[in-house]
Amino acid sequence: MTLGSLARPANRSPLGLLGWRPSERLVFGLIGFVVVLGAWEAASQLKLVKKVVLSSPSLIWDAAITDISSGVIFPHIAVSGTEYVLGLGLALLVGVLLGLSIGLFRRLNYLLDPWLSALYATPTVALVPLIIIIFGIGLEAKVVVVFIESIFVITVSVMAGVRAADAVYHDVAQSFRASGWMRFRTVTLPASTPYLLTGVRLGTGRGIVGVVVAEFLTSNSGIGFYIGLNGSLLQTARVYFGIILLGILGLVLGELVRVVERRFERWRPQIN
Amino acid sequence: MTGTRTALQARGVRFGYVDPTSSEVLLAIERIDLEIPEGQFVSLVGPSGCGKSTFLKIVNGLLSNHEGEIELLAPKAKGSAHAMVFQDAALFPWYSVLSNVSYGLMCQGMSKKEAQARAMPLIKMVGLAGFESKYPYQLSGGMQQRANLARALTVDPEILLMDEPFAALDAQTRELMQAELLRIWAQARKTVLFITHQIDEAIYLSDRVLVMSARPGRILADIPVDLPRPRELHIKRTPEFVALADRIWELIATQLHAHGQPGA
Repeated sequence: MTLGSLARPANRSPLGLLGWRPSERLVFGLIGFVVVLGAWEAASQLKLVKKVVLSSPSLIWDAAITDISSGVIFPHIAVSGTEYVLGLGLALLVGVLLGLSIGLFRRLNYLLDPWLSALYATPTVALVPLIIIIFGIGLEAKVVVVFIESIFVITVSVMAGVRAADAVYHDVAQSFRASGWMRFRTVTLPASTPYLLTGVRLGTGRGIVGVVVAEFLTSNSGIGFYIGLNGSLLQTARVYFGIILLGILGLVLGELVRVVERRFERWRPQIN
Repeated sequence: MTGTRTALQARGVRFGYVDPTSSEVLLAIERIDLEIPEGQFVSLVGPSGCGKSTFLKIVNGLLSNHEGEIELLAPKAKGSAHAMVFQDAALFPWYSVLSNVSYGLMCQGMSKKEAQARAMPLIKMVGLAGFESKYPYQLSGGMQQRANLARALTVDPEILLMDEPFAALDAQTRELMQAELLRIWAQARKTVLFITHQIDEAIYLSDRVLVMSARPGRILADIPVDLPRPRELHIKRTPEFVALADRIWELIATQLHAHGQPGA
């Protein structure tokens, strides 16, 4: 034993002995999870609510195992995943380019701003009949719904980001006679990155909404369809299973964005 | 130190702008004529809003629609005519100290590797060796201004323009940085035009102090500072120093009173 380790406070976590300490974030996240599931299961077991209304964690577990082992759920996941990846990918590409252009060019902003504001405020559901008329009821229609649902938050965030750079940074660049491209690369882009990532975070969430909306209204496969179908069959446990799949997707994507954010925000003091 | 060439010559510089809210034309600088010989350290002091920072921006090329002429020495082959040390918070927060300091060279189209190799000696010179990979938020205010100074020095400017670089520092750090600046200046041998509203800072650093009037700005007095160099901080308590400070303060005070800002 060295003197240094004696001076430190004792490590209270048993897992700490293995060199791993769970973060508070993880611990509190898990506590919340266990409490909610426990209360839910208890309410169901004590027959406080009807099973068809609330189901229960154990029933949902059974339904999940059934549909996973029979393979029923996988085509739905594949279909929704395809719609989501294509729609969101397109929205990211177009949204970032559009947001940067509008942010950089004042006149383009004047030209497009009214359209963006109007479309941003229009519920995508209201556009679905139109989208079906134009694109039919195939994959394209759903990709378009996801695209429209997610592109505006991305564009608007990136637009705001372009103007976020403090004027003094542009002065510094100009003072060193930076070229237009250099100024964009070293001032505009880094200053707007946090906004861009916020846009991506919001966009990933809205993309999931888009998938479900599209599949509710016109589909014969996908997780949204699976939820809708089982709802009409009063298969409550399966409805929850579908919802949980969406929740897991949201969690995974959120963590993914967080990893990217950490990579890009090393220059900012970390606030917990 | 003072050479025979003229590093900066300003003739009849006048600057006005249109106020965006009232649409009136406001005169920021009435007239500035000045000449700075190569190697001299000159400070420009004056009441807030007198146009001293505006003048610096004109020299730096950030404002172009002025009247009159500005003449600067032509830059050396791989150098720059002028470089600015900005007020606080002007380091790019998303770049490390090394990337910030080599920024000016990157702007000239130098490769990253070469720019960083040339930045290293200057980082050492300003006392930041070992902090190359730190981000600005990890540095104290004084260290940020050291990096800011190094960034301006890397482009080897003929004249160094400093816009109240120590204004945001606490009193002790400020004194320390003043002494550090003199040490670095003696090493780098640059012409300096230094803007400040602190009279003792101007005297301590400079060969000459130019006092500006209240807005619209013009130069009221050109006061030589004949204190011996190198200067230690305790020179600020000598009678000669105090007499100079009193003289400059009186000039500025008349300006404040004339414009109804008693004791502002």
